[in-house]
Amino acid sequence: MGRAKIGAIIGREFNYRVRKRTFILGTILMPLLVVGLAIAPVWMATVKTGGDKVIEVIDRTGQIVSELQSQGTIRFEPTDRPLDEIKTPNRDDIYGILTIDTVANGDPTGLKLYTYGPTSIEVEQTVVRQVRDIVEKEKLRTYAIDNLPQILQQVETPVNVETFRIDEAGDERASSSTLSMGAAYLFGFLIYLFVFMYGAMVMQGVIEEKSSKVLEIVVSSVRPFELMMGKILGIGLVAVVQFLIWAILIVILGMAAVAWFGANAALGATPTEIGNLSGMAELAYVDPQALEALRNMTDPGYVTGVFGGFIAYFIGGYLLYAAMFAAVGSAVDNVQDTQQLQIPITVPLILAIIVLFTVMRDPQSSIAFWFSMIPFTSPVIMMARIPYGVPAWEIALSLALLYGGFIAMVWFAAKIYRVGIFMYGKKPSLREMCRWITYKN
Amino acid sequence: MELLRIEHVTKRYTGHTALDDVSFTVPEGSVYGLLGPNGAGKTTLIRIINRITAPDEGRIVFDGHELRPEDISQIGYLPEERGLYRKMRVGEQAVFFARLKGLSRHDAEIRLRQWFDKFGIMPWWNKRVEELSKGMAQKVQFIVTVLHEPRLLIFDEPFSGFDPINANLLKEEILALRRSGATVIFSTHNMASVEEICDHITLINRSHNILTGTVEAIRHAHGEGVYRIDFTGNRTNLETALEGLGRLFPAERESEVYDSILIQLASHESVREVIARANAQVDIHNFKEVIPSMNEIFIGAVNGKI
Repeated sequence: MGRAKIGAIIGREFNYRVRKRTFILGTILMPLLVVGLAIAPVWMATVKTGGDKVIEVIDRTGQIVSELQSQGTIRFEPTDRPLDEIKTPNRDDIYGILTIDTVANGDPTGLKLYTYGPTSIEVEQTVVRQVRDIVEKEKLRTYAIDNLPQILQQVETPVNVETFRIDEAGDERASSSTLSMGAAYLFGFLIYLFVFMYGAMVMQGVIEEKSSKVLEIVVSSVRPFELMMGKILGIGLVAVVQFLIWAILIVILGMAAVAWFGANAALGATPTEIGNLSGMAELAYVDPQALEALRNMTDPGYVTGVFGGFIAYFIGGYLLYAAMFAAVGSAVDNVQDTQQLQIPITVPLILAIIVLFTVMRDPQSSIAFWFSMIPFTSPVIMMARIPYGVPAWEIALSLALLYGGFIAMVWFAAKIYRVGIFMYGKKPSLREMCRWITYKN
Repeated sequence: MELLRIEHVTKRYTGHTALDDVSFTVPEGSVYGLLGPNGAGKTTLIRIINRITAPDEGRIVFDGHELRPEDISQIGYLPEERGLYRKMRVGEQAVFFARLKGLSRHDAEIRLRQWFDKFGIMPWWNKRVEELSKGMAQKVQFIVTVLHEPRLLIFDEPFSGFDPINANLLKEEILALRRSGATVIFSTHNMASVEEICDHITLINRSHNILTGTVEAIRHAHGEGVYRIDFTGNRTNLETALEGLGRLFPAERESEVYDSILIQLASHESVREVIARANAQVDIHNFKEVIPSMNEIFIGAVNGKI
């Protein structure tokens, strides 16, 4: 009978929340937002901003302009007319004017770029790079070395350090510290965010029940403990379902975006164009070894491990903190009163985020180890370590401590909750709340 | 047959004692009034009966055994602070509460449809609670309280907030439930309703049980030997004849036809003597003992006069 009741509470909590408009919107919009933010920079790079950027070049050396090559949207046009004549205000047929005065001791001087709008970094760098390359090539030519191009090609030395991680079984896997670091930050931060988000939902739910006076009817049918657990588990179920939908949608949308964008990029953009961009786009053109690492990180076994770890730590962290949030919610009549009482919840979570930055850089340090064992910080910190690879026993111990911590926390929280839900009026202090633990029923 | 027995129940909170050695027995099939001013400890006692909180001392005996967790499905409770989940739909919510009381979803829906039909509120089934008026929400709450056909019903201030029509409907339903065998505990300070529907009462004041018994017995026990005579004839002659038997008071006239007088009998005199002497002087139309209303007893008891 008790199980049927707790089932009814979980069911009510779940059904009520997943039918809310905010839930449905959030569940759909979040993946759109994430994928959108990821592909936006890449997409924007492929979109031609305005027309061609025409730059008229007055080359008084006469050596450079003929070698300048149009690149992307930038087009160089030599002109013989003097600067004063072409530098009239409000010309909208050109982007700007480049003047090159002399080449003294082999170095170009008097390079000036006049533009009719803000100078873009891209244009400036293109000019600098091209002029430098041209002059350098010219200088090399004066040494009159035979077979120069072949020599240069031979001299060019690509250096790649391939990094491998030797796992417990002695197998080697390509790894990438950059990618691991990104993943560490992402997962650690997501845990923090989700625990806060859904934990606060529990707290608000408790306050709502208390202020709408519905509690008294409910606790005349079920024990306060069952009500609290039902609420925590119901919202936990909402969180897991929402997270899974997010994950699936993000993967689908992401693949769709990559397919669509990949096709477009192959058609239109040149590697240089994309190479200039930061972020996601760069990933597509990193060296083959990073690609190998990326492949390892997207290897099904690895992904399942990280994903499983995420779910285990997310649920554990959520349960632990949700119990605390429930206790705080039970003690107050409205959300405004929760600020001070939330301190024991926010401090360890924020501490975890601070430690996260250290751990990302050195996932094997003793700080990283200990904070990934303490239940209050382990969800965030261990999730940040997992992408680098963590011995199984550490994960097992940390999870055992986390879920053990949850059971202990529920025990305390239930004692506070049981007293708190019938306390109306004055907001209690933290010390008073702790005293409730010792109250008899 | 008793359904519920409260035995020496004491409940202390930090700073004050909510209940101090309270005992009484609720007979099966009775309507039992639990009276007392605000803060007397009624709600604490009701919470103890509902197992929301536990007594520090004493025990509750339900149907011959100490109250057990599973007995909760035999109890229906309408708290004074009435609340529903505001954003939830009415029907869904009623099913939820019924399931908390141990009904299956299927049974709950069948019974709810009967009750909703009876109250003519079937169209509300899919409305959100926040769309209902206060009176409408109270009807829903009443249904939720009685739906699982509990043997013991506890109503905390049931009539507060009901308009007269709904209050009357509620009263009729409560009496109907009693006829079908349920025992009802009423917590109220509406004394008129106590006289009307309660058989027994317990009056709690400042955490103590200060008065227990049937409504009839209590009212008679608190009669102060005052009798009312409605008569026709010479008032002065009557007054002279009754002199020495007790104190005489003028009574409010209730009729154009006859006159009335009150007499508070001296302790050693008999009612027969009063009637004999009055009968010799005037025509008696009516002779009855004046017993105090529950309201008077309540106020007297709380102010320490009893």
